[in-house]
Amino acid sequence: MAIVRLERLTKIYERAQTPAVKDVSVEIGHGEFMVLLGPSGCGKTTTLRMIAGLESISDGTLSIDGQIVNGVPAKDRDIAMVFQSYALYPHMTVWDNLAFGLKRRSIPRDEIERRVRNVAATLGLSEFLKRKPHALSGGQRQRVALGRAIVRNPKVFLFDEPLSNLDAALRVSTRGEIAALHRRLGATMIYVTHDQVEAMTLGTRICIMSNGRVAQVGTPLDVYHNPASTFVAGFLGNPPMNLFPAVVTDDAGGRTLAIGSLKLTIPPERMAPLPPGTSVTFGIRPEHVSAHGQGRPTEVPFSCEVVQVERLGAETLVISEIADSGARLVARSGGDVALDLGDRVTLYADLSAAHVFDAAGNALRQQTETR
Amino acid sequence: MPVLTRTLVLLALSLYTAFAAGPFVWAAMLSLRTTTEIHLNHFAFPNPAHWEKFPDAWYNSNYATYFMNSIEVVIAAVVVLTIVGAMAAHCLARYRFRLNRVIYFILFSTIIFPPQITIIALFQILVNYGLYNSKLGLTLVYVALQLPLTIYILESFFARLPADLFDAARMDGYSDWEIFWKVSLPIALPAVATTVILNFILLWNEFLFAVVLITDEANRTLPLGIQRFIGDTQEDIGMIATGLMIAIVPVIIVYAFFSEKLIQGMTAGAVK
Repeated sequence: MAIVRLERLTKIYERAQTPAVKDVSVEIGHGEFMVLLGPSGCGKTTTLRMIAGLESISDGTLSIDGQIVNGVPAKDRDIAMVFQSYALYPHMTVWDNLAFGLKRRSIPRDEIERRVRNVAATLGLSEFLKRKPHALSGGQRQRVALGRAIVRNPKVFLFDEPLSNLDAALRVSTRGEIAALHRRLGATMIYVTHDQVEAMTLGTRICIMSNGRVAQVGTPLDVYHNPASTFVAGFLGNPPMNLFPAVVTDDAGGRTLAIGSLKLTIPPERMAPLPPGTSVTFGIRPEHVSAHGQGRPTEVPFSCEVVQVERLGAETLVISEIADSGARLVARSGGDVALDLGDRVTLYADLSAAHVFDAAGNALRQQTETR
Repeated sequence: MPVLTRTLVLLALSLYTAFAAGPFVWAAMLSLRTTTEIHLNHFAFPNPAHWEKFPDAWYNSNYATYFMNSIEVVIAAVVVLTIVGAMAAHCLARYRFRLNRVIYFILFSTIIFPPQITIIALFQILVNYGLYNSKLGLTLVYVALQLPLTIYILESFFARLPADLFDAARMDGYSDWEIFWKVSLPIALPAVATTVILNFILLWNEFLFAVVLITDEANRTLPLGIQRFIGDTQEDIGMIATGLMIAIVPVIIVYAFFSEKLIQGMTAGAVK
């Protein structure tokens, strides 16, 4: 276990116009499972590779257990990494793949033997030790890649989108194995993914990145319920949060928003009063919009026309256009909702779960940490 | 595959095989016949087979010396070519550094020039450095001759290897030098085998540079030895064929030994 601290970590590639990673500051505690989440090209893998020592650091400091390791080579950082492509040595057997890192560290032969056998037994690889990678299935290869990291017993584990090459079913089971592995080892783990389900289910905390910067850091539910920006609100959640441009009116002491001709008065706990005329973005998650009102005083009706219905079994996504503005509103309803294309319906949005963002996209009510 | 199609394919393949193997079989038959017999009938079977021509060529025509000279020069050149070529190719494929592509282009561009244009300059250089008429000089020329092609073949192979493999080895604690020997080179064995076979065959049969740069009888290689049976007024066709058969044996051995590596999909399963 170890504490990994990134302070204003920056990466500028040679001849690049903009930095790939800019001023990333985050601390990953002992035994924490930190997920770096973001869209392709947001800098999450570059950040991970800087932690691994595979990329040089242009600016800022990286420390492990209080020791600055900016100039320490990858091999001396006591970090293991699981790669997206598995990166198994094709000319070696599973046994040799697992033992390769240990041999370099001059560990006695019988100790290598013991460790490899233990890890192989833990991961269900004992019967495949003499096979080469090409004779293994995708799931087995991924377990060998995991085993290669575990067998070294490193301070920190790094995962670079390790499940992205697996099929859907295998991804779910391997996700469970990684979660179990974290519980068993209690090791510090840093995991890069663009899959928010992986991030939400695995992470102790999630660091959401955008354009090379940290957009928000927090626990999975924290970042989901209290997004710090329209980027986080739009990125997390499937389907993402409904976002509409709005203007503050002079009604209700600066908490009423106008979306076209529609006026919404936001509860005081969701928004501080703003001067009339201020441009903002109003957000509401699909699960807080329903086809059937609950009779709550915070619910407001939206007259809509259904333009798409996605029936997923347990739930139905109702995509509709708001009557007077033409803006799209997505509602998550029960699996048996009786709506069809072209239906004119009234959808109810619960404003007690509303989000308001300023013109720059920052949340006007933010409760999450951003250390 | 329908029977008729299969028959036609087999027929076409058999005809092509006969066409390709024909000259070799003919030369093999000639090698067991005397020149007089050959002049009487060019295509007859060897009856009786003159096996004594092989020891005769080996002992009485100095073939043993030519053969060992060829072995020394070609093996030394192929070993140096393989090691230096693989290292250079690995470097050009794996590392980003200034002028990487320029160096690669300069090396690659030498392939397009006919080697004959360098022969006078090489002759002068070898004379100046005291390497003319020496096996070392010929070896160095062979290395220079085949290095660009070797680098070209190996570079394209190394460039296809996923970078994650090298990163994984770095994370496992290995230096660049160790990664080359323990990861890159073993994975590149099919490509290395290709260059070994290619270089061995080309250099084993190389005549032009050998005839210009070697005149000493003690340093002659096999192709020069075979030339000795061609006189000003007559040719000993039978002994030339026997010499060719002796010369071809190492090529077959090298091909048989390395060809297995050629067809092995060593990288299968490296990455998904």
